Amino acid sequence: MNILERIVENINYLGGAALFLIGLHTVVTHTNLIKKIIGINIMGTGVFLFFIAIGNIEGGTPPIWLEGMENPIFVNPVPSALILTGIVVSVSVTVYLLSLVIRIFQTYGTIDQKELAEIMEQEVPHD
Amino acid sequence: MISQLPIINLVALLLMAIMVPFIKKISFRATLWLGGILLIGVLVSSVFIFIHVANVGDIIYHFGDYESFLGIEFKVDPFASLFTLFVGTLAFIIYVYSSGDKTEGIESPEFSRYYVLYFLMLFAMFGILYSNDLFNTYVFIEIISLTSCAIISIKRKKEPYPAAFRYVLLNEIGSLSFLFGIAMLYMISGHLNIDLLANTIQSGWTTLPINIIFAIVFMTVGLSLKAAIFPFHIWLPDAHASAPSTSSAILSAVVVKIYILVLIKLILKVFGVELFASLGMDTVLLIFGGAGMIMGSIFAMTQKDLKRMLGYSSVSQIGYIVVGLALMSDLGLRSAFFHIISHGLTKAALFLSVGIVIYLKKSRSVKGFEGLGFQIPIAMTVFGIAAFSMIGIPLTSGFIAKWNLGIAVESASQYIFLGVIVISSLLNAMYYLPILFAAFLKDNPEHQEKVSIEKIPAAMLLPIVVLGLSILLIGIYPNLLMQLIDLVIARL
Repeated sequence: MNILERIVENINYLGGAALFLIGLHTVVTHTNLIKKIIGINIMGTGVFLFFIAIGNIEGGTPPIWLEGMENPIFVNPVPSALILTGIVVSVSVTVYLLSLVIRIFQTYGTIDQKELAEIMEQEVPHD
Repeated sequence: MISQLPIINLVALLLMAIMVPFIKKISFRATLWLGGILLIGVLVSSVFIFIHVANVGDIIYHFGDYESFLGIEFKVDPFASLFTLFVGTLAFIIYVYSSGDKTEGIESPEFSRYYVLYFLMLFAMFGILYSNDLFNTYVFIEIISLTSCAIISIKRKKEPYPAAFRYVLLNEIGSLSFLFGIAMLYMISGHLNIDLLANTIQSGWTTLPINIIFAIVFMTVGLSLKAAIFPFHIWLPDAHASAPSTSSAILSAVVVKIYILVLIKLILKVFGVELFASLGMDTVLLIFGGAGMIMGSIFAMTQKDLKRMLGYSSVSQIGYIVVGLALMSDLGLRSAFFHIISHGLTKAALFLSVGIVIYLKKSRSVKGFEGLGFQIPIAMTVFGIAAFSMIGIPLTSGFIAKWNLGIAVESASQYIFLGVIVISSLLNAMYYLPILFAAFLKDNPEHQEKVSIEKIPAAMLLPIVVLGLSILLIGIYPNLLMQLIDLVIARL
C-alpha cells in the first residue's frame, strides 16, 4: 500500500515525467515528420507540467494579496512565470519546425522520413 | 561604468540584429560596415572587461536591482570573460570573411537575414557565458538553437531542409532534457541562481538524492546532444555540411563549444566535481570522449564530401575536449580549455579555406584538389597549417593541445587514452594528408592558369591568413594563452 500512496502523492510529477517519455517515444519511433513535431510538443508539455507541479502548494491560494487576508498560503508563482517563457519558446520552435516541413514537402513531395531518406539516397550518386 | 559593459555588449548585439533590416534599405554596404565596427567595439569592451575582471574582481550585475534569489544575475568571472573574448574574436574574423564572400547559395534578399541571425546568435552566446541563472541560460540556449538552425536552412537549396529539421528536433530534445534537469534542481532548492544552487546541493544530496541524479543525467545528456558528443553526434555532419561555409565555420568552431562550456559550468559550479564523479559520470564521459575521438576520425575517412569530413573531424575533436573535462583534474581542464580555443581557430580556418575552394570550384568533393596549391596558394597554405594542427604536428596549436591532454591523461594514470590519442592523430593524418598531397605535390594539366589569387576578394583571404598565423603563434608561444587559462582555472 505504501507504494500506492506514494504514487498518489506524487501523481503530478509522475504525470509530467510520463508525458515527457510519451513525447520522446513519439519523436523517436514515428517516421511522419508532423507526428515528430507533435511528440516534441508533448515532451515540452510534460516538462512544463512538472515545473508547475513544483510550484503548487496544497491548499494554497493564487499569489494575489486581498484585503482581510490573514496568514495566507500562496502558491509559488515563479514556476508559472518561467513556464510562460517556456511556452513562448516552444511555440516558436513549433512554428519553425512546421515551416521547415512545408519547405520539405514543397521540394521532396513527402513528409515521411523513410521516403525522404530514399529520395535523398537516389539523388546523391555514390561514386 | 565598467560593470555596465557586459550589458552594453549584449544590448549592442541585440540592437544590431534588430536594425539590420532597416539599415539595409538605405545601403547594404553601410550595414556591413556598421556591423563590423560594432563587433570591433564589442571586442574592445570584452578586452576591457577581461582586464578588469582579471585584476580587480568579478563583475556582478543584478537586473532591475533585484536580489539574486529573486531576479536574474549576471556574473562575469575570468571564465566568462575569456570565452566571450574567444567567441567575439572568432565571430569578427568570420564576419569579415562573410562580408567578402557572397556566400554560396544565399540569395541577396536572404543576405541581410543572415546577419540578423548572426547577431542574434552572438547575443545569445554572450548571454550564456555571462549569465549566472539556469533558466536564463535555457532561454539563451533556445535562442542559439533556433538561430543556428535557421542559419543552416537559409540557403535556397533543398538539401539543408531535412538536415535542419533533424538538427532542430534533436536540439529540442536536448533543450527539454536540460529544462527537465533544471526542474529537478528547482524542486530541491527553490533557486535558479547558480551560486545559491551550489550552496544547497549538498543538503539536497542527503534529502533527495534521486532528484540530483536525474538532474545530472538529464542535463549531461541534453547538453551532449547539443554539443554532438560522440553517440549523440548524428545530426552534426549533415547540418554542418549543408550550411553555407561561414555558417559552418561559426557553428563548428564556436556554437558547439558553448554547450560544452555550459556543461563545464554546471559540473564545476553547480554539482561539484566530487558529486559528479561519485556517480560515475566522469567515466561515462571518458568513454564517450574516447569513443568519439576514434569513431569520429573513422567516419571522417569514409566521407566523399569535404565538409561532411570536416564535420566528423569536429566530432572527434570534441572527443578530445570531453576527455580533458572528464579527467576532472586541473590539468585535464587546462587541456580542455586550450583545446576549445585551439580547435575553434583551427576548424574556422579549415571551413573558411574550404569555403574558398568551394567558391572557386563550386564543388564539395574531396577529390579534384590536384594542383590547387598553385592556384590558390594562400588558402591552401592555411588549409595545410590547420590540417597540421588537427593532426597535431609541432609548431601548431593542435600539437600543444594534444600534448597537454597527454600530460593530463598520464598524470591521471589513464594510460589507455595515450594510445587513443596517438591512434586518433594517425587517423586524422590519414584523411587530411591525401588532400594536401594532391594540392601541393600533384599537378593538374587541366588547370593551366597558375595563379588566380586576384579572383578571390581580399576580405575572404585576410581572415584566413589571420587564423593561420594565430594557429602558428599559439603553437609557438602557448604560454601566452596558458597564462590566461591558468588564471581562469584558479578563479573558477
